[in-house]
Amino acid sequence: MHSFATIIGLAQKSLRNRASTALLTILSIAISLALLVGVERIRSEARGSFANTISGTDLIVGARGGDINLLLYSVFRIGNATNNVSWESYQDIASQNAVEWSIPISLGDSHRGFRVMGTNTDYFRYYSFGNKRKLEFAQGRPFAEVFDTVLGADVAAELGYALGDSIVIAHGAGSTSFLNHDDKPFTVTGILKKTGTPVDRTVHVSLEGIEAIHIDWQSGARVPGQSTSAERALQMDLQPAAITAFLLGLKSRIATFSLLREINEYPQEPLLAIIPGVTLQQLWELLGVVEIALLVVSICVVIAGLIGMLTSILTSLNERRREMAILRAVGARPWHLLLLLISESTLLAALGALLGMAVVVGATALSANMLEQRFGIFVAVRWPNAFEWLIAGIVVLAAAVVSLWPAWRAYRNALADGLTIRT
Amino acid sequence: MSDAALKSASERAAAVVQIRNLVYAWPNQDPVIVIPELNLARGEKVFLAGPSGSGKSTLLGLVGGVLMASAGEIIINEQPLGEMSAAARDRYRSDHVGFVFQLFNLLPYLSVIENVTLTCRFSTRRAERALQQSNSIEQEAERLLHHLGITAELMRRRVTELSIGQQQRVAAARALIGAPELLIADEPTSALDHDLRKRFIDLLLSECEAANSAVLFVSHDVSLGPLFDRQIALAEINEAAASLEPNYA
Ligand SMILES: Nc1ncnc2c1ncn2[C@@H]1O[C@H](COP(=O)(O)OP(=O)(O)O)[C@@H](O)[C@H]1O
Ligand SMILES: [Mg+2]
Repeated sequence: MHSFATIIGLAQKSLRNRASTALLTILSIAISLALLVGVERIRSEARGSFANTISGTDLIVGARGGDINLLLYSVFRIGNATNNVSWESYQDIASQNAVEWSIPISLGDSHRGFRVMGTNTDYFRYYSFGNKRKLEFAQGRPFAEVFDTVLGADVAAELGYALGDSIVIAHGAGSTSFLNHDDKPFTVTGILKKTGTPVDRTVHVSLEGIEAIHIDWQSGARVPGQSTSAERALQMDLQPAAITAFLLGLKSRIATFSLLREINEYPQEPLLAIIPGVTLQQLWELLGVVEIALLVVSICVVIAGLIGMLTSILTSLNERRREMAILRAVGARPWHLLLLLISESTLLAALGALLGMAVVVGATALSANMLEQRFGIFVAVRWPNAFEWLIAGIVVLAAAVVSLWPAWRAYRNALADGLTIRT
Repeated sequence: MSDAALKSASERAAAVVQIRNLVYAWPNQDPVIVIPELNLARGEKVFLAGPSGSGKSTLLGLVGGVLMASAGEIIINEQPLGEMSAAARDRYRSDHVGFVFQLFNLLPYLSVIENVTLTCRFSTRRAERALQQSNSIEQEAERLLHHLGITAELMRRRVTELSIGQQQRVAAARALIGAPELLIADEPTSALDHDLRKRFIDLLLSECEAANSAVLFVSHDVSLGPLFDRQIALAEINEAAASLEPNYA
């Protein structure tokens, strides 16, 4: 029907005639949609990188406590363990038949705000993240000597360390700790490639290194009058008595649940085993509240944008009654007027949506670096995907639906006014 | 005026508009229009005078099929408007009637030519009749505009940059494109200077003559009456006007 095309043409020209208000409406829709899609992007990327923090590990074992707490300190380096796991229990469980590999973890110290983790070289061999990616060295090699250290990518980048540099580890996790193990400095022998996980922010040393710097310490404080030099420490037996937690890789995943039960009922010591994927899911559900809040806020912003559009259409309606009467006089049917107003707002919203998508792509391109470095969220710079287009489509549809109201009023007015507009 | 009763059958058949016992009241108001009879012959140019508020625009809305009579009938080209569907009335309007209002006849976001050809976008009949005159509807618009004294230079201006007199002439061109049977003009000269009024009406009437369109021209300015074939005072044919106080000479 060619009057349909006529009306769409009229809508275009009418909008162009009111370019400045139209532009403002387009902008407000663009910005609100960009916010919504941007939040959605960060949310899904955050969820993705969150789930990718650890992979390939079948069980994480620590002292009995909360599941999420164990996941937080062993994987995310957040919080502390309430208790240790004895070396004997670790050895016992790690040597079980079902176990393919194990990685011990010893936490508690820090270096200038970065957590220090004691482990062994199996860590570099077996630890994996993302899609079963192994750790890789940007420079150097794993630690070999007691006082060697391997830095995560962010540690090296932010503190400007290079291979061969010497660093001092502080006692405790605070960044302003005055209790330094300054008598036993470590030498940087390796720097890892960036992973986008907490590994990047970790200082890795051997279990023996952790043991060595604590020779003169007992229950978190230096033993007065006792001072063992680094050289002497190397002569001593540096086998730790306890570790904080350990990761297990199993030969077959079928064994996961039986081993889990066995560890949780371990008679010698109260232990807790968790399946990382399951606990990650629990943690994400906890964070889900924040996620939903963010989403609700950005949906509200979109609604505000649509209300802004509605306001501008409604206020223009009165001054356009004349226009409607002219259109009626030349033979426009009432539904033509309905169509005119609906297509105007749909056109505005569609332009706003396109601009909004451009803003999202532009903004991610500009902030991708910052997001990755500051928050560890890797946001890919890419064109909008199908889901994001769907969101944009829903916003455009919502604009069309919302404009039914002013369109209906214009329709009623046109019928009631006849050809005389009484103002 | 009881001439209607004497009209012969042949004269009736030639009528473009026949009004019989027409009554119209706006919602929740007393009737403003009570007209027992009024006829407009094909090509006839009728001047309808009445003070403001007497129901002139309302009558035009009824004849134009925008308003629906409360009672009685309006027959256009032998077709009773009351029997048409809303869609048919809208089609009738665009096919057979041209409108010129007092002011603001043009859509500000369309060019002069687009305003004139707008009618043809809603009516295939008008478009076809325009094409009998010229090669394209745009050419026909230009031809009419030219006849009405709109120069090519003025045609290129934005409609908001035209004087009121020029805007009214563009509106007349739009009403006349595709040669409608009936031109309805609702005080189109009220916003014009006195000197311009006569000139505008002369141009309008000669174009109507050329298109053989009947004219129903409404104004409160009775001095314009002699320019038309017939003058009618609304108060004389409208029985509802008895309650109104006519304030013209
Ligand atoms: N859209 C409308 N709704 C309600 N009443 C109206 C409307 N238009 C006109 N009227 C009323 O109808 C009467 C006639 O108005 P109108 O036809 O505009 O007179 P005129 O054109 O002769 O000045 C007036 O009393 C006016 O108040
Ligand atoms: Mg009037």
